[in-house]
Amino acid sequence: MNRTLSVIRMQFVNRQTYVWIPLIILAGSFVLSLLIFALIPTDAPKYGGAAQAPLWYLLAVGIQAMTMSFPFSQAMSVTRREFYVGALLTAGIAALVLVAVYVLGGFVEQLTGGWGMNGWYFYLPWIWEAGPLGAGLFYFVMAVLLFIIGFWSATIYKRFGGVGLTIVLVGIGLALVGLLWLVGRMDAWGFVWEWLMSAGAMGLTAWAAVVAVLLAGIAFLTLRRTVP
Amino acid sequence: MIDEGRALFLQIAESVENAIVEGTLAEEAQAPSTNELAAFHRINPATAAKGIAMLVDKGVLYKRRGIGMFVAPGARQVLLGERRAAFADRYVDPLLAEARKLGLAADDLADLVRDRASAWEAASVNEGMTR
Amino acid sequence: MTTSPDLVVQVDHLTKRYRETLAVDDVSFSIEKDKIYGLLGRNGAGKTTVMSILTAQNFATSGDVRVFGEQPYENARVLGRMCFVRESQKYPDDATPTHAFAMARLFFPRWDQKLADRLIEDFQLPPKKRIKKLSRGQLSAVGVIIGLASRAEITFFDEPYLGLDAVARQIFYDRLLEDYTLHPRTVILSSHLIDEVANLIEKVIVIDRGRIIMDDDTDAVRDRAASIVGDTAIVEAFVAGREVIHRESLGRVSSVTVLGALSPEDRRRLAAAGLEVGPVSLQQLIVRTTQHSPSDTAITTEGAVR
Repeated sequence: MNRTLSVIRMQFVNRQTYVWIPLIILAGSFVLSLLIFALIPTDAPKYGGAAQAPLWYLLAVGIQAMTMSFPFSQAMSVTRREFYVGALLTAGIAALVLVAVYVLGGFVEQLTGGWGMNGWYFYLPWIWEAGPLGAGLFYFVMAVLLFIIGFWSATIYKRFGGVGLTIVLVGIGLALVGLLWLVGRMDAWGFVWEWLMSAGAMGLTAWAAVVAVLLAGIAFLTLRRTVP
Repeated sequence: MIDEGRALFLQIAESVENAIVEGTLAEEAQAPSTNELAAFHRINPATAAKGIAMLVDKGVLYKRRGIGMFVAPGARQVLLGERRAAFADRYVDPLLAEARKLGLAADDLADLVRDRASAWEAASVNEGMTR
Repeated sequence: MTTSPDLVVQVDHLTKRYRETLAVDDVSFSIEKDKIYGLLGRNGAGKTTVMSILTAQNFATSGDVRVFGEQPYENARVLGRMCFVRESQKYPDDATPTHAFAMARLFFPRWDQKLADRLIEDFQLPPKKRIKKLSRGQLSAVGVIIGLASRAEITFFDEPYLGLDAVARQIFYDRLLEDYTLHPRTVILSSHLIDEVANLIEKVIVIDRGRIIMDDDTDAVRDRAASIVGDTAIVEAFVAGREVIHRESLGRVSSVTVLGALSPEDRRRLAAAGLEVGPVSLQQLIVRTTQHSPSDTAITTEGAVR
């Protein structure tokens, strides 16, 4: 456990990756959104999607964890399991920090009535319909999921090469297309749409968690035989 | 200084023996330590240790517990005896071989040796006078 | 007085196959505690592959590897006592040497920061400059410093000298010996600059095309060959019946490298025949036994009519 904690500490030695850059992206996209809100001449509520930006950055971090931190961790004589758990925990910590910022930001946003402009960056109603905890959970799971997607795809790439990754992605694409076709065949679009609506943000969170766990498991199994 | 093709530990042992024969390392004096030798010649300390161990086995050095290795009494005489015995193999045979290549007979060789010896003798006498 | 040696690494019939190529071919050897080993061989001979497998960074196709008596794969207990910084090591993005050493300090329990600081000065390494912007030599220095300062019980140095100039290399050898003298540990040094490391290594293991062709005490190997020079006909007469590993001729003069110690009788015969005997350095010996040019006769016993 000690060494796993060291893996976490290792990721924070260079504070850029997990601290500064996400903060900069967050601050930048926030300021940008405010400016755009200010420019739009209407009193109707304005919703921006820019809050996604730091989350997508975590995808890049997930990839980097595999391509750069993993080989170095091997030189540090760390086992693959210690590295894996440490990387996930680090992502979890980063996600928690983001969540704290988002939830607090959401409160402030509500208090100020959308920064006095009815402009909403943090507080998006459909995410907050289950309350602040629900919103926190949503952002947390999304952040971790994106990290895992990056980590998982980089693991496949490292183990099976560019060709392997392409085959896997194409396979997933085909599976999705097949699913869509199936829905169309069964004329179930209405059903699907209703189901999506009723599930809401929490439903989406639950499914995202399932996918995250699945990909995480695959990533670990792949990592176990990956050469740095 | 280090010969590429011969066992290193032997060369280390020889260098210590040379110092004893030349008199720079006196009897009952402390021999350089393994680490000192290793550092000086830039070699693995284990190799230096092997060379020293060989000298201890041979009786040239002896160990004083807690202090180090010292030159055994009588070591110089033993080494001189050894080298004199090997002298013919090491120096005379190559000399003869080279002389043969140059067409020098044994007598010519003997004359050369005598001439050079007296020249050296004269030089060291001069030195003795001016000292 | 012989004591049975403490073996820290044992490799039995290790094989690594990539598709059609055998990178490591049925390799067996052991490593004794607290000795400096030279793992020598040409580029691509299999040195890095073997070291990667020992540190569980790569996987064997077949065979058994034991470090401190256990299998190293996913074994934190064993891995934490080793350090292997490879020749083209990747470092975390935007990391500086200072970051890298701070990270190393987290994982190597015996890490010596004072030693690291001293080495940073010795190698004139800019500690706050990003690693990806360092020169090849400075990059090597980072790896070398991690290896030295880690004080790991088994430390591997994988061709650590790449990009280091002669002065820096000498600094490395000197610091390695110094530290080894004060704090003995098992060191495995892979190199193809054989003559430079010949005096540092106590044991030598030579790998050629995935196979071990030499595994011995360095001093024992040094005496193993001699170079005989002289008139071709006379030389050939002398070497008949001996194992020849190399021959060169210029006009009527030949230089032949033979394996096997020369007795005092042999030396007298050689001197009498007007042949010169020269030593064969470790590098020459290894080079000549691993050369595979078409004109080279490799290892062959004399007697056959050519």
